[in-house]
Amino acid sequence: MKTKIFKVLVGLIILTFVFTACGTPATEAPTIAPTKPPTNETAAPIVALTEAPTEPPTIEEVAPTVAPTEAPKPSGTITLWGWSYDAMQSTGLVDDFQQEYPDIQLDFVKYSSTDTYQNLQLAISAGTGAPDVVQIENSHLAQFVDLGGLLDITDHVQSYIPLMNAYKWVDAVKDGKYYAMPWDSGPVVLYYRRDVFKAAGLSDNPDDVSAMVVTWDKYLETCTTIKDKTGKNCFAFSRANNDARLYEIALWQQGLGYYDKAGNITVDSAENVATLEELGKFWNPMVVSEEQPWTDPWYAELNSPDNSVASIVEASWMGIFLKTWIAGGTAGMWGVAEMPAFAEGQVRASNDGGSTLAISSQSQNPDAAWAFIEFMLGRDNSQLRMFAYTDFLPSLETTYGDALFYEPDTFFASEMTRQIYLKVAKEIPTAYVYGPNYQLMNGYVATAIQEYATGKSSAADALKAAADRIRAETGMP
Amino acid sequence: MKKKNQDKREENIDQSQKKSLWHEIIKARWPYFFVSPFYFLFLIFGAFPLVFSFILSFTAWKGTGPLVFNNFNNYKLILSDKVFWQSMENGLILFFMYVPFQTLLACVLAVILNSKRVKWFKFFRTVIFMPYISSMIAAGFVFQLLFGSRNGLFNSILGFFTIPPIPWLDSVWGARFALCALIIWAWLGYNMVIILAGLQTISSELTEAAMIDGANPAQAFFLITIPLLRPVILFCVITSTIGSFNLFGELMSLFHATGGVGPLNAVITPLLAVFGQAFHNFKLGYASTQAYVYFLLIFMVALLQLRFFNKEVD
Repeated sequence: MKTKIFKVLVGLIILTFVFTACGTPATEAPTIAPTKPPTNETAAPIVALTEAPTEPPTIEEVAPTVAPTEAPKPSGTITLWGWSYDAMQSTGLVDDFQQEYPDIQLDFVKYSSTDTYQNLQLAISAGTGAPDVVQIENSHLAQFVDLGGLLDITDHVQSYIPLMNAYKWVDAVKDGKYYAMPWDSGPVVLYYRRDVFKAAGLSDNPDDVSAMVVTWDKYLETCTTIKDKTGKNCFAFSRANNDARLYEIALWQQGLGYYDKAGNITVDSAENVATLEELGKFWNPMVVSEEQPWTDPWYAELNSPDNSVASIVEASWMGIFLKTWIAGGTAGMWGVAEMPAFAEGQVRASNDGGSTLAISSQSQNPDAAWAFIEFMLGRDNSQLRMFAYTDFLPSLETTYGDALFYEPDTFFASEMTRQIYLKVAKEIPTAYVYGPNYQLMNGYVATAIQEYATGKSSAADALKAAADRIRAETGMP
Repeated sequence: MKKKNQDKREENIDQSQKKSLWHEIIKARWPYFFVSPFYFLFLIFGAFPLVFSFILSFTAWKGTGPLVFNNFNNYKLILSDKVFWQSMENGLILFFMYVPFQTLLACVLAVILNSKRVKWFKFFRTVIFMPYISSMIAAGFVFQLLFGSRNGLFNSILGFFTIPPIPWLDSVWGARFALCALIIWAWLGYNMVIILAGLQTISSELTEAAMIDGANPAQAFFLITIPLLRPVILFCVITSTIGSFNLFGELMSLFHATGGVGPLNAVITPLLAVFGQAFHNFKLGYASTQAYVYFLLIFMVALLQLRFFNKEVD
């Protein structure tokens, strides 16, 4: 009797084990993860920008589609991985899509960006398990294009190539073939707290602030004033835990990067060293906070009514994060100004963030997947509705004449923030920050910045060591 | 003829042995059936990766496509890899920072709990063991709150005594210290329970006899109990050694904003270095090389520990 019970028990344990081993990984809680900076290449001037406000697009107005309505509409279930689908769900776009394509079922799997990439890498490597549609930031796109596993959608995107911000395509192309469709761009601006600027005796008018922080040196002066008058830190810029993000923004702004057009590593170039030393001035004397981005104390100092930082240099998509889960309690306290330039008269624009949607080559239903991407990213109406809700500036330039760009934003004290986003987007220079080895380069450069910031090494030596290592590991000259 | 017979006999013996082996297996087919999942899983998740990653360590594989061999390039690359050697060094530093202290503390707690004078024995044992079964992710976040440089609890307490704040998670040694605190908090109970189990196999007559002979409790502890516990302590020390090189969840939760590596790679472990190369950089070939070099080194350390401890037992 006892042995029988024992056998049954053992059998049960084995069964449990087998089932748990075979179980699919649990879907993680939806997180709106930070979108990382997009492409590296040709941030070419945006083509055909209509300046004057035009009538708001009607629902029927649709950007040119590649394959209009041929034959039967696609049907079936498609799986979508990513973290920003709320922009489509909360704006009713998913419902509209379902109306147009009643036979397509959408299975949204909300992964954080990190989980998306990790699962996608494994699925591509395994040859099975990849979704139909996947959200990929430009910073990671070239790496996945290089890995293989994304579907060549050149035929579909062909007609969109002149309609999107040119630099958004750079990471999507390999050997003349296109593997992703741009979603949003990330024009970098200066978000600042009006209350803090006022408390420091400074103007809180966006134009005045833009004039005040015309260069990084002037920005430093402003920061010093704020620190002296209010005791508040200017922005978050960690030394020992620096993630190289702001440095990348500063490089991009000058058309610099981690490598040049010919593929030579420029991590240790004189310009790159000078850029790092310029940013290093904010640590000496300390006018910045050391909170690490995307941690609770960082959110807290953005959200605090009376104990906040004064500003943050970040891309337009930061708008929705500030409005909702990071600093929802500070409506009316923020302003948007242009970011500082390196020297007076130079570019006051950079790019950080921005996503794309791609189709996996494992997809059983690429037509339905493309129908979804085309509906969401290829049409003015969809892009504008998402933009209005999220501050994800459409990469689709045909939207740029819309009246929405002239609407005041109450969260930013009724400022016409979208005008600034657009102005910046037009000026973003060409830079080579990303590419197939971005993750590796970002890791080594971040460590180099940390070494410089904590006084362990000079900027030149730290970047030289990083550059040597990157050359050794990537084989790039 | 004779020889042939002999051969035949040997063959018979051989066959009968084979037969009896099969016989045995068939006879015990249910037990074998029940343990078979282990062998299948071991072949798939143990043996195959072991062999495959060895092959990969000579290639520049990124996860797809054909294997392109690049001879010993990866092994040459590893010699100048500051991050990898930093990770080995970190493992060593962390080992010295927490393993001796944790082991001693576990021994002392086990002995205290083992003494008959302690009431609520089961209660205390449960309380000390509890952190081990709680979620490391949750614990990591709590420790972030404790060790936060600006608003952390510890720095607030220090501030109360007008001591300037310590940049726990923003400095190399602060980060290591916070990490060790988390490890000891999480793993002390586990080590204590193992030592406690070992203690309970030691007859109390031995220490009593020593006491009668005039030994004081400290002498009895260090001269009787500890030597008898040596195999159990050895187990704890070796698993902790490997553990300190293999830290992962603790790092990912406490230093998640930097991907687990901490300020200036202060707490990056070999496991994390391998993970980064494989799953951030997609350099699976080089990651395999790191894994093999790391395996060889840790294997030698474990051997040394075994020899060192066993000698003293002899």
